[in-house]
Amino acid sequence: MFSSRTSSPATSGPAAASVLRQVVLPERSRAGKRAGALIGAAVLAVIVAYAVFVPLIAGTDQKLTDFSSARLPPSSGHLFGTDHAGRDLFVRLASGLRISLLIAALCAVLAMVLGMLVGAASATLGGRADRSIMRCIDAVNAVPHLLLGVVIVAMFRGSVTAIVASIALTHWTQVARIVRAEVLSLRGLEYVEASYLLGRTRTQVLRRHFLPAALGQGTVATVMLLPHAIWHESTLSFLGLGLSPDRASLGTLLQEAQTEVMLGGWWALAFPALLLVCTTLAIAACGNGLVSTTAGRS
Amino acid sequence: MPAQAPLLSGRQAGRRHRRADLRTIIFRRCVLAVPVVLGVSLLVFLLAGISPFNPLTAYLGDRYVQASVEQRQQLAEALNLETSWFSAWLQWIGSALTGDLGYSRVFRQPVTAVLSERMPWTLLVAGTGLFLAVVSSLLMAVRCAYRPGGFLDRAVGAGATVLQGLPPFVISLGLLGVFAVAAGWLPGGGLADPGAELSAGQVARHMVLPVLATALSQLPWLVLSLRTSTAGIQASDAVRGARLRGLSERTVVRKHVLPAALAPFIAVLGSRLPEVIVGAVLIETVFSWPGLAAAVVSSAQALDFALLAALTVLTTITVLAASLLADLLYMLLDPRVTADV
Amino acid sequence: MPEIRGRDLSRLAAAALLLTVAAGCVADPENTGEGAPLVLADANELGRFNPVGGHGDSGQSQIYDGLLRLAPRDGSSSLPDLIPWLATEMPRRNTEGTEWTVRVRDGVEFTDGTVLDAEDVAATYKAVIDPASASELAPSYDMLQDVTAGPDGTVTFTLKYPYSGFASRLLLGIAPSERLMPGLAAESSLNTDPVGTGPYTLASLRPDELVLTANEDYWNGAPEVKTVTIIHVPDDNSRAQRLQTGEIDGTVLPPSLAAAYEDKPGYSQEAVETADWRGLSLPAGNAFASDPQAVLAMNLAVDREAMVDHVLAGRGVPAHTPVAAVYGDAFDPDAVFPFDPEGAKTLLDEAGWVAGEDGKRTRDGVPAAFDLAYNASDTLRRDLSLAFASDMSGIGVDVTLLGTDWNVIEERRRDVGILLGGGDKPYDLDSQLFETLHTAVPGTGSPFANPGNTGSAEIDAHLEAARTSTDPAERTARYLAVQDLYVQQPGYVMLAFINHNYIQREMGWQNIRTVLEPHAHDVGWGFWWSLRDWTRE
Repeated sequence: MFSSRTSSPATSGPAAASVLRQVVLPERSRAGKRAGALIGAAVLAVIVAYAVFVPLIAGTDQKLTDFSSARLPPSSGHLFGTDHAGRDLFVRLASGLRISLLIAALCAVLAMVLGMLVGAASATLGGRADRSIMRCIDAVNAVPHLLLGVVIVAMFRGSVTAIVASIALTHWTQVARIVRAEVLSLRGLEYVEASYLLGRTRTQVLRRHFLPAALGQGTVATVMLLPHAIWHESTLSFLGLGLSPDRASLGTLLQEAQTEVMLGGWWALAFPALLLVCTTLAIAACGNGLVSTTAGRS
Repeated sequence: MPAQAPLLSGRQAGRRHRRADLRTIIFRRCVLAVPVVLGVSLLVFLLAGISPFNPLTAYLGDRYVQASVEQRQQLAEALNLETSWFSAWLQWIGSALTGDLGYSRVFRQPVTAVLSERMPWTLLVAGTGLFLAVVSSLLMAVRCAYRPGGFLDRAVGAGATVLQGLPPFVISLGLLGVFAVAAGWLPGGGLADPGAELSAGQVARHMVLPVLATALSQLPWLVLSLRTSTAGIQASDAVRGARLRGLSERTVVRKHVLPAALAPFIAVLGSRLPEVIVGAVLIETVFSWPGLAAAVVSSAQALDFALLAALTVLTTITVLAASLLADLLYMLLDPRVTADV
Repeated sequence: MPEIRGRDLSRLAAAALLLTVAAGCVADPENTGEGAPLVLADANELGRFNPVGGHGDSGQSQIYDGLLRLAPRDGSSSLPDLIPWLATEMPRRNTEGTEWTVRVRDGVEFTDGTVLDAEDVAATYKAVIDPASASELAPSYDMLQDVTAGPDGTVTFTLKYPYSGFASRLLLGIAPSERLMPGLAAESSLNTDPVGTGPYTLASLRPDELVLTANEDYWNGAPEVKTVTIIHVPDDNSRAQRLQTGEIDGTVLPPSLAAAYEDKPGYSQEAVETADWRGLSLPAGNAFASDPQAVLAMNLAVDREAMVDHVLAGRGVPAHTPVAAVYGDAFDPDAVFPFDPEGAKTLLDEAGWVAGEDGKRTRDGVPAAFDLAYNASDTLRRDLSLAFASDMSGIGVDVTLLGTDWNVIEERRRDVGILLGGGDKPYDLDSQLFETLHTAVPGTGSPFANPGNTGSAEIDAHLEAARTSTDPAERTARYLAVQDLYVQQPGYVMLAFINHNYIQREMGWQNIRTVLEPHAHDVGWGFWWSLRDWTRE
């Protein structure tokens, strides 16, 4: 929303992304970030492996209930305990995590495609078109994301499409802004000018130069969206507006945990919450590492 | 930029331009707000129009299952549910302009009554929580800036990093579990003890947990962004110069670092407001606090369009106003910045 | 440039923190003992006090009285009697059962000072059936054609068709005619400012709390409990938690949370019986679920006892037909399905649904599978669906769950099974059975009345005869015949009758009674249904 006449480093270029970032990590040296990113990537790999392989081995049939072994505390037989219907939470959490990660990834990719197209188009067109596109983005940003999400999901309850749409449609603007800034910085470069001089149309230049160049920034912005998408899904499901309550996801598990905690079942809250925090932080660490590498390249 | 009047000194001219700038930005934002608000309300009605859900289901509750097709038809006609989404929107806009926001089907009250009854409670908790978060984040940032990389700095950084990974509802559930259920020190919900007079003391006791939850969910972002900007400023030439002149660390931090960090901080604060509203929705739900945010969920679940549209528009206006305010403050604090809009 | 003074800021923050903490530590004034208000927590939104909008439609309102009132015989375990309340005697009917006449009690006053008369009664019922008021009760009063107030304090109800159970519809609270404005019931001022003839009046109403005070001039004697505070706590867990901290004296809880209060000293608990069944209808458009042999097999393979023990925490009764034991003579204790999974497998094998290598059954390539939809906001229906699906995988039938909204369920009702509930009007067997078991007439009635359209002409004939008959013995015989026919060829898989669970701190009140309850469960029911009669001795 600001331009600085004396080029202030805090408000231009990739640094602006830090304001928009969903999860801010402590500022560190570049080497520190690399190390953080490595640890983050390792943790993420473990989490993803857990989400992918545990349901494969244990089977995803969540229908098999055994109410007589309900609400058992963690033990060697049930690492994370069991839920109200006697299902093993270690397995259920894995399949829940898988659904949450899938939804988050789908949202992030959708938001990235939308954001990159709009951002790059806006910067390429420039002038009045650029200004009005940016105003539209401001307008979308003016509506609190969750509120719009709640409205969308409430009106199309229980549908995965609605959840994905409600997250993607409210989060693409950040990608668009970052990509636009990146393309604007490229516009004056010699090889782009040369392209125009060679008679290439704006669409061609957009496809050949701008989109590939903005891909790096776009990807980083998308990775940064992931934690928020996971949050968003869990929040909607927590409010009872998300997935069908018999399907495990981080949100539905946390919602069930509310009752369990009252009955003394701390494990039903602790493990999903722990996993939620670990996943978001690991992704954020990876994203930060990516930011520092892309910043280093340009 | 118009040419400067030759008779005025540079400083005066600067001020005058600044004031003109401020007027322009306020005017432009207000003009921009009109289509945004119209668009947002239109969107709510459009979504309602293409939604497969029938508000009659929520209206009848469990009795929906018993209503025959003809009875549903009659009810829908009487409740004016048959009109197209666009004419419903036109009707809503028309009466909203005359100050009549319609009738809330969930609360069985005029929308204006629902708003005026619940708004103060939301403002109380969200405002106090945000205030607490701002003050404590500034304090922490000052302490941390004395010794960047020191123990306190690292501890605050790590704590805030973990805290921001927790969604507001998990924080709220945690606070509820520890302070209300396990320890029993504080009430876990409501405005006042049931049956007790709605006194200031009662409300103060009951708002502690929701306020803490609001503050804790906003704190990490504020602290971390402050730390990021102070770290950048610590490395700047001006601050290095100040240190070389032999000024004490306290003076350097208070006179040079913090003022410079304040402008971006206010920008972050402005951009956090939507998140505060989101947090309020969750926190009010967990603590059964009778505010507006809790009404968002009930009205969305019941497809209570009159209330939903009013709430959406209200939050949109709040967010626009807050971002305008933050931008104005940013401009006043940092003379290098000019308005883009 | 503004200068930030660290010390000032510290002071400010310290003051703010101290203030909040100090506020938190202010001692909680103990208000227990004699004359202390009774504090209850309810899940429903507060307000909505308009009887035309459905408030107190079974006579459970504390603010309004109905023409008749329920009188439990032995708690909630049998059908209660109906006794005259604002009526001077039980209603008289003509021989066809299409005209019912009631005389209204003299000398009863509304809390605003106006006198109750036949006009008020007629106006209340007219408002219910007036399409312009869009009353939620209209579906329950489908048989009512017109209401007229006679000159001698009588009210005459004219019905569209003979309806022998009409007395059970006269429990609705009566509002003063001058407050019953034409227009939507939802927008009536009675919602927030009710006026009735009941034992309590509304003293204050906030979004989170309402206070009822005793009507000292109540025609049947002022109640001893003088003040009742009802707070709004929608979340089940929060209600349980606030009961635990002693903040509230009583509330309604789902079975799993109520089970935690089992044998807890200082609390009394009541699992009130109902005719509120849960069961599933089967999709007519599914080859497996519409096969009569398969339906019988599923009825045999469901472990109803286990569902009651585990899902309902023992707070319920297995249901085999929609008729519960509370109906006494009209209940056939032999109309049951034994739990026999092996028998179910044999039945399926005979019908050609053979198990493949993976244990799942098919017939001519058609899988033995269907979707079961339930209302996603109801955790009890979710768990019953889960338990049913689990039982079905035991016999090789694949049931997929679908937690969604009634609209979606309705659209797909030909293709999905539905976890239904019943028992909204339990005080006459007709309303319990007719809609559920009568074969549907296309284009009329609710889409959820017998969604699988199962049944037979024989059952229809019995139901119709029982509806119009004036002879109680004949009605009983007809209903027994219906149950006998049903177990030979069931159209549903009935699972359980659920109990409603109420917990209350013991405060030394006597004469607390409960009554058989309809589908509704809130703090108007349970212990508090008899609040007006509570005594200290």
